[in-house]
Amino acid sequence: MKPPWFLPARRLCVERNMAASGWQVGKYMYKNNRILLTNLEKVLFHRNFVASSALRQQAVETNKGDSSETITVPRKKVWSKESVLEALAVTVRRDHTAYPYQFQDDPYLSPRNAAEFKLYSLSQESGRSAAKYFVNNHPKFFTKDFAEPHIPCLMPDTISLRLEEVSEEALKERINLRKVKAAVDMYDQLLQAGTSVSMETTHNLLDLICLFCDRDPVQEDGPQTEDMEESVNDVKKWKGKVRRPSDLLKFTWKGNNNAERIFNLLPEKDTRCYSALIRGMVKHGAYAKAFSVYTDLLNNRLTADVHIFNALISAVPEVRDKYIERWDLIAEILNQMSQQKIQPNLQTFNSVLKVLRRCGSLARTLALQTLSEMTTLRIAPSLATFDHVLAIFYKAASAGQGNTDILQEVMSELAGKSFTCQDPGDVLFFSSAMRICLDYKDLDLGYKIQNLVEVGENWMLLGDSYHRSVYYGRFFSLLCMMEHIDVVLKWYKELIPSLYYPNSQGLRDLLQALDTDSRLDMLPTIWKDIRSLGHDNKLELIEELLNLMAREKHSPEVQESFAACALDVKSVFDRNRSRTSLEWSNTTLSHVTSLLLRANKIPEAWEMLQVFKEQNRVPSDELLEDFLSVCRSEGSAQRAVQLVQLSAAFCLQATPKLAKLTLTEFNLSEEQRIILSELESVTEPTD
Amino acid sequence: VRGNHSQSDIVPRCQVENYDVKGKEVSPVAAKSGKENLLHLLRAMKVDVTSKRRLKNEKVKQSLSQSQSTPALKSTISMFQKASEEASAKTHSVDPELLAAASAAAATLPNRVNAESELLKQLRQHEAITEAHKKGDVNNLGVIIADMKVGRNSSRQNAWPANQIRFDDDGRGYSHDRGIAAELDSVRRKRNLFTGRRLNIFSFTTDEDKLDATFARPTLWDADFANQLSSSANQMPRNAFEEMIQWTKEGKLWQYPIDNEAGLEEEASVPFHEHVFLDKHLEEGFPRQGPVRHFMELVVTGLSRNPYLTVQEKKQHIFWFRDYFNQKQDVLKEAEVYLN
Repeated sequence: MKPPWFLPARRLCVERNMAASGWQVGKYMYKNNRILLTNLEKVLFHRNFVASSALRQQAVETNKGDSSETITVPRKKVWSKESVLEALAVTVRRDHTAYPYQFQDDPYLSPRNAAEFKLYSLSQESGRSAAKYFVNNHPKFFTKDFAEPHIPCLMPDTISLRLEEVSEEALKERINLRKVKAAVDMYDQLLQAGTSVSMETTHNLLDLICLFCDRDPVQEDGPQTEDMEESVNDVKKWKGKVRRPSDLLKFTWKGNNNAERIFNLLPEKDTRCYSALIRGMVKHGAYAKAFSVYTDLLNNRLTADVHIFNALISAVPEVRDKYIERWDLIAEILNQMSQQKIQPNLQTFNSVLKVLRRCGSLARTLALQTLSEMTTLRIAPSLATFDHVLAIFYKAASAGQGNTDILQEVMSELAGKSFTCQDPGDVLFFSSAMRICLDYKDLDLGYKIQNLVEVGENWMLLGDSYHRSVYYGRFFSLLCMMEHIDVVLKWYKELIPSLYYPNSQGLRDLLQALDTDSRLDMLPTIWKDIRSLGHDNKLELIEELLNLMAREKHSPEVQESFAACALDVKSVFDRNRSRTSLEWSNTTLSHVTSLLLRANKIPEAWEMLQVFKEQNRVPSDELLEDFLSVCRSEGSAQRAVQLVQLSAAFCLQATPKLAKLTLTEFNLSEEQRIILSELESVTEPTD
Repeated sequence: VRGNHSQSDIVPRCQVENYDVKGKEVSPVAAKSGKENLLHLLRAMKVDVTSKRRLKNEKVKQSLSQSQSTPALKSTISMFQKASEEASAKTHSVDPELLAAASAAAATLPNRVNAESELLKQLRQHEAITEAHKKGDVNNLGVIIADMKVGRNSSRQNAWPANQIRFDDDGRGYSHDRGIAAELDSVRRKRNLFTGRRLNIFSFTTDEDKLDATFARPTLWDADFANQLSSSANQMPRNAFEEMIQWTKEGKLWQYPIDNEAGLEEEASVPFHEHVFLDKHLEEGFPRQGPVRHFMELVVTGLSRNPYLTVQEKKQHIFWFRDYFNQKQDVLKEAEVYLN
């Protein structure tokens, strides 16, 4: 039944000019009824409307034959169950003062640097999998089902086998639970009992064995036994470092394993059996064997499927060494594909391009030809496609040569498009494109890439936190190098630390940019960030900071803040005294001291001179002279005498000079005079 | 030069030096001593940056003496004029001594009054320009940086992995590799990545073949590939809505309503008339007329307006009354209200 507002609104539509009134009606109605109503209008315009909508529908029916225009009824818009949420999510903009959303539950666990970020996100993840492990392994404690309606995904999964008897059902259950060894045993028992197994189940069994290389996969939701627990922990540690989950499955294919045995026992083999075997062999490193199985398939007068070809193409560089031979083999495989009337897909071309990356100079023209082949076949390239193309045209070794034309064209092709992840290699595109911009110092292109990241869901394709920080690190370095300091600081506030945590190299770039644009007064603020980002243990960074601060004299306010910063640096050294990572060097000590002197902080500077002594470092003559001149302006004779004594203790060449200066320029007591003249005369002969 | 700040301070002064020295060389009278004086002065200047005023006064005196000592040389006058202008560029107001110098310089020219006013005008103009430069220093920095050669110390260069960054020390940009450039030329001419020659292996066909591929059940390989994709992309929700989307997809969260039929899982297949027209359930087991029938009609009317019960529950409600009245048949018959 139509809601009551429907009728008047509709009448309005008809009585007025249709095109103009369209916007006054609800959008939904506009879309669905516009064409019907335009037809109506012709016939019914002069009538008095009290008719129901049903009547009008009838009128349209009768009218249909008359109108020469064909009526195309618009497709009904189907909304997914997330669409309202998606619309709402778009309205939320990123708050660059906030922590990442995943950490907002617990303010105590807000990560301030990369190490904490990794620790907290890993512990969050492991907490989840621990809970899941417990639920799945002890389902007897989780029998209560409060939810109405029932929520299946919150109930424990069945992970243990239920069917014990020897039957195809039991085999299917083992395949579904991914228990490779149990499934193989069950299959063997079935064969011995003389029961035939259906083709589909055999396919699934072969898939299972080949995918996991005849081994039980590591259970996602937790370890089964004590020793497995350890191996999983190792795996996790390793994952944190290298971040290539595919490496976890690097078992090598063993000759005549269960997959091959079962395959050979099969009375009739179809393409899918071959497919499983070849894909498994390529995945687990038996490349040459994969090609011989493919020959076997051809001898049996079967046609391959697209997956077989994709697997074979990706195996090409392992079986051929010369560039031209590699390409010849690829061309042969592609030709066979076309003969067997197999349509290639995105994966096919991505693997071709991936091989071309390892084909040296040959690759450039061929890569472009491959791209235009894709366009002819109307296969939309994914980001991985472009990543391969860029890698072919911009070798890391030849950085600084050539130009960015290809990247320019790729970016103009991609601009404003939103992508979804179609290939595991998609996530590498952004960071490698940004690397090229950094190599060629092309700021405009860098901004274009950043704009592309901000389109739609493209941020997902930045990959995990590691890839993301690589990308932003390069972008930020590019900004520091090429952009005006105000813009750099704007990006600095936006990116750090809400999107990524810079490494010490990134911070040094920032310091350099501050230096270039003479914004050294920002240094104390940056130092605070350095501390909170956990880079205060990097000696090089601290040295650079102190060097920049101590290089020139600034206004008194700036000197004051620099001195406070220098004291803070000193406290970091003091705190780290037990650790060996940070040690005072001569330059850092004298920089800190001279910074303190410039802000007239004599007692603190004096303490620094004591640190010289503790660390067995020798202050320079200039530093002591500076010290003396500050003493003079402050008029503290006592301190000056102590200074000369200290200088004598260090056996400095400048001691007599300092003593002389002190004698002439200070109001000294008799006692002090004696001490000084002794020092002046004692060391004079050694000169 | 490490930073542009120090450079921008030094550069104009160096220019002053050049002008003065040139002027010196042209003037034959006080050449040697003046030059020495000047060099001495400049040396002092470089060391002591802050004592601008003292130095400037000295310099003005210097140029004053020069202009007096060389009254005949017209060609040098323009030089002096420039030099004194450069000097005045550092003052906030036109110095009285400078004024004296200007009038002295003007005295050497034929049209004295005119020249003096011109000189003074020029000085004031410079003063204005200086002020403007002081305020708009930041913009100027960009220009200076553009001309600057950036040198970085070796430790920084080593810090770059694989030495990927090269600074254009010669200012000419990058040397283009001939071979690559030639190869790229062909690409550039086309202006498009996708319209070049193609492999010519496949031919485009319509999607008939693909259909049966999509109908096939997803295999374990597909699941594995999907798993790879989802683990490589960053799926971390950025806000609460995205987290709710994730939960909705996982089935943990009640669906956000997108139309009026949300939550109609059970009743989705039941047409509305089953809810509203319940009279047909009174056909069996109830009397055709009388108070019981009347009562039941009221019950049915009430039920037809109740949106909270499912059709099954409504039926059960009616059937309960049927059973009840059947059980109480005797009582009803006695009271003569149960008319069948």
